Amino acid sequence: MVMARPPPDPLFTLRGSAAPVNTLQFHCSTAGRPLLYSGSEKGCVHVWNLNNRRAERVLEGHDGASVIWVSTVDSTDAFLSQGRDMRVCVWDLHEGRSAVTHSLRTGSVGFCQCSLLEAETNKTLLALPAEHTEEIKVMELASQTPVRSLIPDSKQGMLMCMKMFQAESGPLLCAGYEDGSVVLWDVSHGRPLSCLKAHPEPVMCLDFDTDRQKGISGSSDKTLTSWIIDSQQNLQMQNSVLLTNPGVSQLCIRADGKIVAAAGWDGNVRVFGWKRLKPLAVLQHHKDLVHSVAFSNHPEASQRLMAAGSKDQRISVWSIYSES
Amino acid sequence: MDRCSGAEVEVRQAVAPCLRIVSSSRDSAEVTEALRTIIHYLEGGNASASEKAEFNRANYTRVLQVLVSSLSSDWFHSLPAQERRELWDGFFLRGPPDQALLVLLDTISSTSDGSGLDWTVSVLESFLSAGRVGMLLWSRCLETNGRPDSVQLRETILTRLSSLPDLTANRLRTNTPARLLPQQYYTDLARDVLNTLENTCRALRAGQDCSLGFVAQLLGKVCMQGHGELVCRTLAPRLSSLTRSDALWRRVSCKLLENVPDRWVESVITALIHHLHGASALSRVMGNLVLKNKKVQFVLTHKVLLLQYQHPTQLLRTVLGYLALDHDRRPLLKQVLRSVCQVWSNSSAVRHTSLDQQLYVSKALLLCVNLLNQTEIQELREELLQCMLGGVQCRLDSSTEHVRRMGMVVGECLSQKLDTPTSQLQFQYEANEESRELLSLMEPQSEEEDEDEQQQQPDDAPRPQPESSGQSAEGQSMMSQPPAASQTSAKPAGHSSDSELDSDDELTPYDMSADQVKQKATPPRYVRDCLEALMSSDDPERVELSLQTAEELLRKNVSTAREVSVQFSKVLLHLEDRYSTAGFHTLRQSAMVALAVIHTQPVVEYLTTEFYSLNYSLRQRLDILEVLALAAQELSEPITEKKAVSQPVARAVTLEQCGEVEHWRQVVEKRIQSKTRRISKGASQPPKAAPNRYAPVAAYFFFPLLRNYDRPQVTFDLLGSDHLVLGQLVHTLGLLMHLAVNAPVATQMGKALLDFVWAIRFHADQMVRRGVLFAVCAVFLSMPGENLLLELSDDLVETRAWLADVAESDPDADCRSLAVQSLVLLEKNLKTHLQSPSMET
Repeated sequence: MVMARPPPDPLFTLRGSAAPVNTLQFHCSTAGRPLLYSGSEKGCVHVWNLNNRRAERVLEGHDGASVIWVSTVDSTDAFLSQGRDMRVCVWDLHEGRSAVTHSLRTGSVGFCQCSLLEAETNKTLLALPAEHTEEIKVMELASQTPVRSLIPDSKQGMLMCMKMFQAESGPLLCAGYEDGSVVLWDVSHGRPLSCLKAHPEPVMCLDFDTDRQKGISGSSDKTLTSWIIDSQQNLQMQNSVLLTNPGVSQLCIRADGKIVAAAGWDGNVRVFGWKRLKPLAVLQHHKDLVHSVAFSNHPEASQRLMAAGSKDQRISVWSIYSES
Repeated sequence: MDRCSGAEVEVRQAVAPCLRIVSSSRDSAEVTEALRTIIHYLEGGNASASEKAEFNRANYTRVLQVLVSSLSSDWFHSLPAQERRELWDGFFLRGPPDQALLVLLDTISSTSDGSGLDWTVSVLESFLSAGRVGMLLWSRCLETNGRPDSVQLRETILTRLSSLPDLTANRLRTNTPARLLPQQYYTDLARDVLNTLENTCRALRAGQDCSLGFVAQLLGKVCMQGHGELVCRTLAPRLSSLTRSDALWRRVSCKLLENVPDRWVESVITALIHHLHGASALSRVMGNLVLKNKKVQFVLTHKVLLLQYQHPTQLLRTVLGYLALDHDRRPLLKQVLRSVCQVWSNSSAVRHTSLDQQLYVSKALLLCVNLLNQTEIQELREELLQCMLGGVQCRLDSSTEHVRRMGMVVGECLSQKLDTPTSQLQFQYEANEESRELLSLMEPQSEEEDEDEQQQQPDDAPRPQPESSGQSAEGQSMMSQPPAASQTSAKPAGHSSDSELDSDDELTPYDMSADQVKQKATPPRYVRDCLEALMSSDDPERVELSLQTAEELLRKNVSTAREVSVQFSKVLLHLEDRYSTAGFHTLRQSAMVALAVIHTQPVVEYLTTEFYSLNYSLRQRLDILEVLALAAQELSEPITEKKAVSQPVARAVTLEQCGEVEHWRQVVEKRIQSKTRRISKGASQPPKAAPNRYAPVAAYFFFPLLRNYDRPQVTFDLLGSDHLVLGQLVHTLGLLMHLAVNAPVATQMGKALLDFVWAIRFHADQMVRRGVLFAVCAVFLSMPGENLLLELSDDLVETRAWLADVAESDPDADCRSLAVQSLVLLEKNLKTHLQSPSMET
């Protein structure tokens, strides 16, 4: 048996956000320069150029309130950032502009990130946490008209995380709650389809793979749990894996469905095979909690990077399982 | 009348000449002829019934006596064995058995060794084996109103029958044949009694009257003499099975027991209930005797339950079940319950009776309660409640874990019976063998009883077989269980086993050995940092790490540790387990011990002062004592490489787990053992000599602890309610004393300690008494002999009397054994001292 390879080092590290990094988003689809957006605790959004590895721009739109989610909107080339000032800002970044075109009030005081769904129907939906801690509001982004409000009947506690995706029947949404349950919502009818008690502790993060109808959720304890949506649209527990140290702040499945990365509270990024949650690598670099992990959507497979943002104010960029 | 007197004269005239011949003639043929004449009058002879009766009444004994006296005569020896058996033995076996027995026994006890004695013994044996005793009993049964037997004769026969093995053994000593030994004899006797009872039944069915008076007396007397065990072992099972189907037998057996004189009935009943399994058996055999006989009532409702406690649980179950079984007897059950309740809830009984007895009474209480039905419980509810509250409370106050647990278990069981399901008592205790047994008493019993009766049948069916096969089946099922699932595959889901297999395998994992449990904080590296963290940090992890490293840091940096030793001790003493750190007490204790060892004088001074100061919890005071003891122990041991660091910790762990008292004694015993072993081995490599670090500082440990014990404070009353601490204090002092062996200060210490414990030697709490005795042991062990005697001289006699008294009558077993130990030590001291020549100088 050959000795296992030592884990790789990061390709490079981005410093200079001057605050803990909360959230990351790649933007590499357009030709030209690949970008990485990062939201920091001080309320700034840094736009990193991955070619020269420098911050191109710094967007400040949340009055110093921590930015917890950023996203690009492909259809309109807009950019969204969600801050803890209870607002989601819609930015226009065209041609060097950096202006907030308008902002949406969420009313949420929690840490739940928004979820964006760009369906083929040219209708972009945005799910937002709302004023009631357990409520989800879904609105149409372009017209800013609310579509649905999703409130669970039973006591499941605060909304912790969610992910909206398109299914054959229409948009669905997976939401994780404080009591450890994951609820599958039918957005068009505004009713819950299934509920799964996936964790004993609050669900901290989840991600969903539409191709396999399979999702994964992490909690503040030591387990990662994967579940599937069966043909009756019921959630079913599938697999679980035990971590060495408790706490996962974000999970991200790579677009090709081969691996999933977990941002751990112990400062490590763990990589698992997505099929069976086989542990593949433990990337040790950060000295503090890793808040966010993201995969690049670069059209060239070999250029697809992974980035991890940490409380130690650094963003590490890795190239892992990107050959072949 | 005429005929009778006619027969009398006739028989006398016929017998008298023959007897003369037998006693005086030298002609053996003539003698034989004479005997053959007399034989007609015996059973099976051809004389008339009235002649036989007359012969039996007036002449038989005389004939036997003459025969016995001829044992040494020539004709006896010249008789061939066959004839001898017929002519000589026949007389004993074919006449009235009572007279024969008396003559035989008289002969045996008065004849000196020789062939005559041997012959008589063999005749006695054949007398027994021919069932003549049974005949005797039966003949007595038939005399319902006939011959007014002289009381003396009756009494004599009774005595002879009941103590036959003793009488013969007195004479024959080691040559006694097996049949005459108690084992065999009394078993046979029981069988004879049974046969007699059977005859009685038969006679009663035939309409004939019988008297069981003699049999009952015999039974009583035998049991009284302590052979009840042997008799009832045979008697009880048979009676149980015979009475099951036959009402007449039931009547006969009740009658038999009723006829046992009062003075013996207790021993009969006790022996009987030991061998009857199950309440229904007892009920069949005894009937309602308990209601008729005051003595039996006293034995069953009081003596067996409350005064004795050596009986097995089965017996309790039998007796109480017996009381509960019949409607007439149920009032007695209630009465029993009342008195048991009273005893159980009596706090003085808790303090002054032994644990075994308390357990026994608890069992009785539970069994009693279990037998009551709902209405009776409602009726007795108030009393039971009082009993439960009082009893549980005074048990929970006890310093012995054993007693506390007993209180909790019984309390729970009672509450279960008394209260609604929502408001039942619930305690937290560790279940052990005993608590499980107590709990099992609350289960309904009916099946078991039947089982018992079946077991009573003397076949030893191979019962364990099904069990063992069950076990093996279990084992197989265990074996066939799949090996533990690996951590990732909690569920072998059907979905993953489709086409997409193996796609994970193209991704080779990286080395993940570096993935380890992360510790957020780093342990402190300096003593002062450690102190700082313990004093003011709010970070649980930092506090925990500091506590974990404290001992190591202190021992490594001795000079720094000396600078802050008292402050560090203070912080540790006041440290609370805010974050429920694993092994908190152990860690804190070992750190405090390290401090006390490194900088002995100031730290020990601080601790001993704090022991008596205000505003400490009992736990903290106990901690102080433990730390002092462990520190003294470590100081008194020679310094060893590194091991010394881990040793106290290991001991401290056991200390946390078990009761403190045991711990100290174990430690000391271990030490004593290790010492004696070293001396006896002798040749083994002698340890390197090193000065004892404890001897010079022993006084700092010892005397301050004796300073203030009699000054009660608001929060701490050592001689009052805080006897837990007092017990621990005395133990610690004893240990400090023991460790100070060979130190110059030992004499003063011993003197002071004896003075101290003398005042509390009759303390009500057994923990304290144990401590006192332990301290006395330590003094006797460590104080130099001559000083000890000098010191004790005035009180020597009193001390010995006290120790002897404790050794004999203390309810606590440990106290007794410790007292014995101290007595032995004292005697040894005395002996060596009196023998030593130094005394004379």
